[in-house]
Amino acid sequence: MKKIALFFLVFLFLLTPGIAEAESGRELIENSASFNDKQVTLQGEVIGVMIRGDSALVNLFDNGVAIGVWCRAEDARKISVIGDYRHVGDTVLVIGTFHMACPEHGGDLDIHADNFTVTAIGRELDRSTSLSLLTLSVTFVASAIFVVFFLRRIRKEKEKIVPWPFQ
Amino acid sequence: MGLRKFSLRAFLKKNFDFITGILSEAGLTVLIMGIAIAICLLLVFIKSVI
Amino acid sequence: MILPLEREDLKVIGYNLRNICYLVAALLFLPIAVAVVCGEFDTVPYFLIGSAIGIILGCILSFSLYTKREMELKHAIVMAALAWLIAPLLASIPIWLANATASYIDASFESISGFTGTGLTLAVDIDHLPHSINFLRHFLQFAGDGIGIIVISLSILGRTEMGSVLAFKGEAKEIGIRPSIVRTSRIIIGIAVTFLVIGTVLFTAAGIREGLDFGTSVFDGLNHSMTAYATGGFSTHSQSLLYYQSIWFEVVAMVLMIMGALNFNLHYAVLGGKRREILKNIEVRLLLFGLVTSGLLISTNLLFANMYPTTEALFRKGVFHAVSAQTTTGFQTVYPFHFMLMWPVFSMVLLSIAMIIGGCANSTSGGIKMVRIGVLLKSLGREIKRALLPRSAVMTGTFHNIDDIPLTDKIVRSAALMAMSYLILFSVGAVITAAYGYSLEDSMFETASALGNVGLSCGITSPSMPAGLKVMYMFLMWAGRLEIIAVLVLFGFVIFGLRKGVRR
Repeated sequence: MKKIALFFLVFLFLLTPGIAEAESGRELIENSASFNDKQVTLQGEVIGVMIRGDSALVNLFDNGVAIGVWCRAEDARKISVIGDYRHVGDTVLVIGTFHMACPEHGGDLDIHADNFTVTAIGRELDRSTSLSLLTLSVTFVASAIFVVFFLRRIRKEKEKIVPWPFQ
Repeated sequence: MGLRKFSLRAFLKKNFDFITGILSEAGLTVLIMGIAIAICLLLVFIKSVI
Repeated sequence: MILPLEREDLKVIGYNLRNICYLVAALLFLPIAVAVVCGEFDTVPYFLIGSAIGIILGCILSFSLYTKREMELKHAIVMAALAWLIAPLLASIPIWLANATASYIDASFESISGFTGTGLTLAVDIDHLPHSINFLRHFLQFAGDGIGIIVISLSILGRTEMGSVLAFKGEAKEIGIRPSIVRTSRIIIGIAVTFLVIGTVLFTAAGIREGLDFGTSVFDGLNHSMTAYATGGFSTHSQSLLYYQSIWFEVVAMVLMIMGALNFNLHYAVLGGKRREILKNIEVRLLLFGLVTSGLLISTNLLFANMYPTTEALFRKGVFHAVSAQTTTGFQTVYPFHFMLMWPVFSMVLLSIAMIIGGCANSTSGGIKMVRIGVLLKSLGREIKRALLPRSAVMTGTFHNIDDIPLTDKIVRSAALMAMSYLILFSVGAVITAAYGYSLEDSMFETASALGNVGLSCGITSPSMPAGLKVMYMFLMWAGRLEIIAVLVLFGFVIFGLRKGVRR
């Protein structure tokens, strides 16, 4: 019985099409030819969503590289936070077909998602002003104002005919 | 003092050279892209025939 | 005879640099407005510090180097060369403070790439940069390359003395639109702003059509309009225009890139009623020929290499990158690694040649420039004719560039000198890059991109690239923007000064 089950599992495994598991977006870019037209898995931060009719283009950022993923519009609508300076975007797991030069999308590199899952919701980042930097900037601005008026006064005292700095 | 009525005809007449100049330059880019698309079409056709 | 350097020479140069410091300080206030609108108040100190340093430096130069002596040609050229170093170094302060790059040298690289309209980037994580810093990167390209910092300062100052004329020439711009340099400067700004507005509207419309929200469409539209017209190539996203995967974005970009690559004088003539100039002008004809030829050859190569088998893909990859290279813009819809690892060598070489040739003179483009190529080709034709005709035959020739200009030996010599200097610098740059272990075609590609102020990258330019290469590319971008001669004059100025010493 066990042997039959094992044989059946091996048979099923041999029947499934090649699935290449991508470690990262960088690996997909650097080894595009080997992943071309194969199923890949990519997990990344959402940095852009563009809904176009029934489909949507979602840009995922992973390991310093961003890749465009085409998915259904209803999947894209599940995204709540898009990553930017003040936000970490939703994390999305995509399983789909990788195209090095997609014939459907004008030769662009993309992934056509078969499976699109939001695995983590994004959040807002704390971007409060650093007190030390604020103090430094105030110091510099005050110094600039001081230098302008101080040098102007010295000039006047020495009776040099020097143009006003902003003339 | 009342506001002068805006006349599209007067505006176009005054800026005729500027507007036609912009259109000429747009025409140049359309020409370039038209030639480019024609080249791409021709190349794909030639390859399909070969 | 070259006169020995005097202290007054250094004072003239230093004193006149004060306006560049004040100008950069003023320009750094614009991103503050963007920061406030986008709620990025934590970034405001970066720009205040940069601006304050610019003002302090300008005041020190103004006070300590005050002189009444008039600028001569040598002063103007050296001043222009130094202005194009000082301005980026000041503008790099906010970029470095914002941690947009890994180090200060990377921030300087980014700033020089911005000001010179190159577009090679060492920014880390562009997609998460503050809007204000991203705006600064794009605005530097518009102000530096789209208009020119000396042009801006002259139009504001309103001076018409000889020094202004010479400084204008020192920035590698030819005089000719209007007799008054101030009027010319203001016309250049007017033309740039016109295309900025048109471009912003078109990009915004494309963004809304492709599913972006209104705010993002306007922000991205404004920034891309600045860098497309300035033929700079910076983008608000790490994927460049590939982020949008949109033919509309690419078409609008191509329109603006071509507009940016046309001579300012041509724009002035055409917008002033001389519409026939568009087809009569030697540079437009050569640009048209260059775009069609490079587009045709690159597309053919890509098609028969089975890279992009459809018409749309050929247009959006082959033609788009041919236009991006020829106009020296640098927008890419292909990952840099793919240029290096997947594109055929023939296409890479063609792109390199297109980058070296460049766009029209007196435009936002880099490269050797079409007018010089035209002059050299016409001169070559004339020499061939001369050999075939009797010795007593008198050879004349003209070329049409707004006016009919006689093809004199002086013009031919000037074009040949510049082209030769360019090619020597290109060769040295390519060899040095190759010495770092990169392949020759990739080295040629990246060097052509830096020297021509293009910005297309095959992957060599990255934060991890050797520091020596970063410094070399900064030099190439700077030299390319000034069309090399100003840089050579600066070196001559320093060398003669060192040899003979500085007299009181």
